[in-house]
Amino acid sequence: MSSAADRRPATPMARQILEHHSLLSRARALPGEARFVLAVLTLGALVAGAGIGFLVVTGQLDGRWYDLRDLGNATAHFRGWTQRQGIHSAVPYLVTGLLGGIAILSLVGGWLVIGVWAERRLIAKFQIRQGPNRVGPFGLLQPLADAVKLLQKEVLIPIGADKLLFFLPPILIFIPAMLGWGPVPWAPKMSYADLNVGVVYTIAISSLGVLAVFLAGWSSNNHYALLGAMRTVAMMVSYEIPISISLLAIVLFTGSLQLSDIVAWQAQHNVWMIVLLPFGAFTFLFASTAEINRTPNDIGEAESEIVAGFHTEYSGMKAGLFLAVELGNALLVGAMMSTFFFGGYSLFGLERWIPGYLIMGAKTFLVYFGFVWLRATLPRFRLDQLMAFAWKFLIPLSIIQLLFVAVESMVVVQSGLPGIVTIGGSIIANAALTFVGVRAWANAIGYSPKEMASPPIMTNGVGGLRAAEQIRAAS
Amino acid sequence: MIPEQFGRVAILLVFALAFPALPLTASYLFSKLGYRTSNPTPVKEATYECGVESEGTSWGQFHARYYLFALGFVIFDVDVIFLYPWAVNHAAMPIAVLFKAFLFIGILAFGLAYAWRKRALEWR
Repeated sequence: MSSAADRRPATPMARQILEHHSLLSRARALPGEARFVLAVLTLGALVAGAGIGFLVVTGQLDGRWYDLRDLGNATAHFRGWTQRQGIHSAVPYLVTGLLGGIAILSLVGGWLVIGVWAERRLIAKFQIRQGPNRVGPFGLLQPLADAVKLLQKEVLIPIGADKLLFFLPPILIFIPAMLGWGPVPWAPKMSYADLNVGVVYTIAISSLGVLAVFLAGWSSNNHYALLGAMRTVAMMVSYEIPISISLLAIVLFTGSLQLSDIVAWQAQHNVWMIVLLPFGAFTFLFASTAEINRTPNDIGEAESEIVAGFHTEYSGMKAGLFLAVELGNALLVGAMMSTFFFGGYSLFGLERWIPGYLIMGAKTFLVYFGFVWLRATLPRFRLDQLMAFAWKFLIPLSIIQLLFVAVESMVVVQSGLPGIVTIGGSIIANAALTFVGVRAWANAIGYSPKEMASPPIMTNGVGGLRAAEQIRAAS
Repeated sequence: MIPEQFGRVAILLVFALAFPALPLTASYLFSKLGYRTSNPTPVKEATYECGVESEGTSWGQFHARYYLFALGFVIFDVDVIFLYPWAVNHAAMPIAVLFKAFLFIGILAFGLAYAWRKRALEWR
């Protein structure tokens, strides 16, 4: 047997892994001219960065209308200019409102176009597949092809359905996905509607989605759709409470319901809420996956059990809207998560150099990546397990955490000790609560870690990264 | 200041309604221009469940399993909303306020424990 035959990979998967090029190897394979152009571009970017850096350091940029670090400056100057021109104040208000609305619309709409591709591609990478790669470069035009296909699909309305109520949900379900972006702060002075009741508004808006879901399930006149809708309502209703209580813990520390104040507090104290309230962050993350009907908590549309859940009867573009809103919601929850727990636009002083909205966007997409990771990793939970987890685990522990935080926030403000002592102490106390309390409570209610599944044998032995390494090493 | 900001939310609401309306309009235009088939038959329009013909309507009585959960949700959510004003002002308040708030949360927790004891949290 020749050595060439030995080196041939045995399976298609092994062949794919071998043929897979890393970014670094692709960069090494670039021709000389391309390298030269890249070097010139890098140098130019460095020079431009140094120039901007000089302006920032000398403070010549602060508060000017062309200060792109914070688009709030531009709108403030625009408002002042119209005032000097004697134009009615409703005009700048409407103009900024419409521009901001268009910005949010294009953000969400753009993400619905790119996100389909990005998510499928990412999940494919997690599962050592290729993902969509046929339509356009890297399969980038796949969402467009999907949209055209959905537009051409026949739209059926089942005979038994309630026509009006059947028509409304695909439109209504977009209201929470869009309105939720209102109070999100993108820079110190830059947010679309900086409501002083931002936290309450967020909770209220996020629970609106349940109405559209139940309407969809009810009006379809389909048993599976009704089942899916009822499951979703039960789940959303249950996970609303852990979200409210974990946000309450944040408000106890910051003393404000305004989202920009919450970010400013984290920037001022140089601490992210995820460090201060690890259990609250976990609660928010898990409960929001339930709230937006996303895997691992997508029992409302569990395709292996109840066809497609509440949107079984929808076809064509209407079904497409239901699928698209999930992406928009996931991005919104990413933004909320980074606002509440990851310091929003602040990055330990770097927000003076990098525009806040870029930092915020990066954090949002990182959280989104976490969601995709969750989706690619975890199987779906069972409904009764989910409900029990919300009511018997998350809510009692959130209440205990609330008691801790109530005392801690009082100490932080009233004790007069330096912040590093009080906040550091709070971090230690909350970490202890998270790591000790979670285990103790699980034992107390009879879910001991011993009962958990054994560590993943299959992924280590058969597939996954280790298998890829073994295949590479063997060939 | 405040009506101004909620006015912006209203503008956003218009955008939120326009957003899904756009593809739906495109879908409607496609059918008008003949790019989208529309050939409904009774079989196609039947309720899609599992291949077997559906038995009856789903608009009958159904077992609302989450009835007790919904009751618990109403109680808890309203109470948590009552806690928000306290949370905003809490840090600068005297310690007596803290104990009163603990009493309130304690009653909440007692309610949860009672529901648990009465097996209202079992998914039956």
